[in-house]
Amino acid sequence: MSMAPFLSVYRFSAKIVRRSKRTKVFIAVSVLPVILAVVLQINRLASPGRGLDGLAVFSNVVMGFCLQFLVLLLSLFFGTSITADEVDNKTLTYPATRPVSKTAFILGKYAASVSFLLVLVLTSTVVSFLILMADRLSYGAAWAFLGKSLAALGFGTICYTALFTLAGTFLKKSILFGLFFCFGWENVVQYFPGTTQKFTIMHYLKSLLPGMEAGVGGTEGTGLLKFLLFRQEPTPVVTAVITLVILTAVFAGLACWVFSRKEYLFDE
Amino acid sequence: MIPGGLAVRADKLGKWYGNVLGLSDVSIEIRPGITGLLGPNGAGKSTFMKLITGQLRPSIGTVTIDNQPVWNNPEIFRRVGFCPEQDAFYEDTTGREFLSGLLGLSGYSAAEVRDRSDRALAFVGLEDAADRLIRGYSRGMRQRLKISQAIAHEPDILILDEPLNGLDPLSKRKVIKLIKDYRTEGRTVLVSSHVLPEIEALTQSIVLVHQGKILAEGDIHYIRDLIDAHPHVVAVKTGDGRGLAAKFVGEADVLSVRFDETEGTVLFETRNRDRFFERLTRLAADEGLDVEEITSPDDNLQSVFDYLVGK
Repeated sequence: MSMAPFLSVYRFSAKIVRRSKRTKVFIAVSVLPVILAVVLQINRLASPGRGLDGLAVFSNVVMGFCLQFLVLLLSLFFGTSITADEVDNKTLTYPATRPVSKTAFILGKYAASVSFLLVLVLTSTVVSFLILMADRLSYGAAWAFLGKSLAALGFGTICYTALFTLAGTFLKKSILFGLFFCFGWENVVQYFPGTTQKFTIMHYLKSLLPGMEAGVGGTEGTGLLKFLLFRQEPTPVVTAVITLVILTAVFAGLACWVFSRKEYLFDE
Repeated sequence: MIPGGLAVRADKLGKWYGNVLGLSDVSIEIRPGITGLLGPNGAGKSTFMKLITGQLRPSIGTVTIDNQPVWNNPEIFRRVGFCPEQDAFYEDTTGREFLSGLLGLSGYSAAEVRDRSDRALAFVGLEDAADRLIRGYSRGMRQRLKISQAIAHEPDILILDEPLNGLDPLSKRKVIKLIKDYRTEGRTVLVSSHVLPEIEALTQSIVLVHQGKILAEGDIHYIRDLIDAHPHVVAVKTGDGRGLAAKFVGEADVLSVRFDETEGTVLFETRNRDRFFERLTRLAADEGLDVEEITSPDDNLQSVFDYLVGK
């Protein structure tokens, strides 16, 4: 496949993604961890000795909000909209009557959404980290934790967006499916004992984070959401990365395959 | 590229939406020049246009452009421009961004995109509004923008679904001229409409579509003859209905005269509408006939089609 059609779809879609009203709403949502970090840091500085350790708070923000809520929500709404918006708004006619393959169209739109979401999620996470660790920026382990958190969030965004792109290509109510999947499957089954938890994407994402059993850097997992850190059978990091890459490729490939074969009818 | 010479060909083309018939057994060749696709709303015009622009897959039969299948063949769209009927846009982009984005998808360089979008926007008179969000465009501006995206890459085949909808008279004239210029250059243009005079202003060659089938195709005069053979009802509102009726009952082409007391109108059924109007105008001018209103209740395509299919 030539890169030129992919890049032209990417550029056009990136502009549309940046401009949409949905984007403005989700930018506001993605700022929430930063606001949370500011509040917690003020609280910590106001009562020294009583507040939580900055890194422990950050790990809870990453686990409890960014990974298990923000990434899921953003991927769901942006992934499903890749096809659904074009069909619902009846704009699919325009790209469908251009010399661009359907594969290039889906991949270009997917890449535009993912790159925007990565900027949103990773920026919010880094800013939260800098606020919460403002007094301990020289602590090396904290930076290592940040790096691994960004990797988990990045892989989560890429993989979930691919899954929801696929859902959007063939399901009429893809948002409903996505909500059930995110909050009824991923957020529940990941806590099942044994190998059942490996049927969730979240399991592999959590496997990328360090010190799940014992907390990080001496924080011993004392965060408010400690129960979320429980992990019964972690997958080795390399295996987790390979699994996530394969899942992403399969979801994106299937999305292209379905989109190339399906005809989309507009509601008249 | 030397334009022209491309033909759109449909062979036993059919399309069903589940159990609903969209198009049935359509075999037609659309050659260079202008072809008008005429039919009432819901006749199957848009289905046909979506099939020949690869947006729908035929349920049966084939559709080709330049002997190449259309479905899943994006390369063909380097030479095809399509203006859809639906009023759909990426609302949060500006007119220029919309056009530039679509030209980018056609594979042009940044400089070419700029040049072509400027020219297309100027042609449809949107250069002053080019940097405003489409969300704020009027209906006429949106229609002009749709046309600009169809012509910006100077296609050899131009497919326009109800292109004159919502246009002001000046814009209509410009678009009609553009379409005629395309014909002069040897390109292929297919225009659909449910308004007969719009098609008449564009071309002599028309295809009548009704209930998913081609009812008739050929020269406009042939279609006109079919229509003229159809008795027309003309309603005339006047203060002296009976006096007016008396002047027409002797005419051979007037088939019946009725009075609508509640509306104060006289309803004439005539086989020759043009001659009827000519006589009515003469009477009004010469004898000072008091005519308040003239309407043609059945002067629409639906009644013509109903007549042609023998309802």
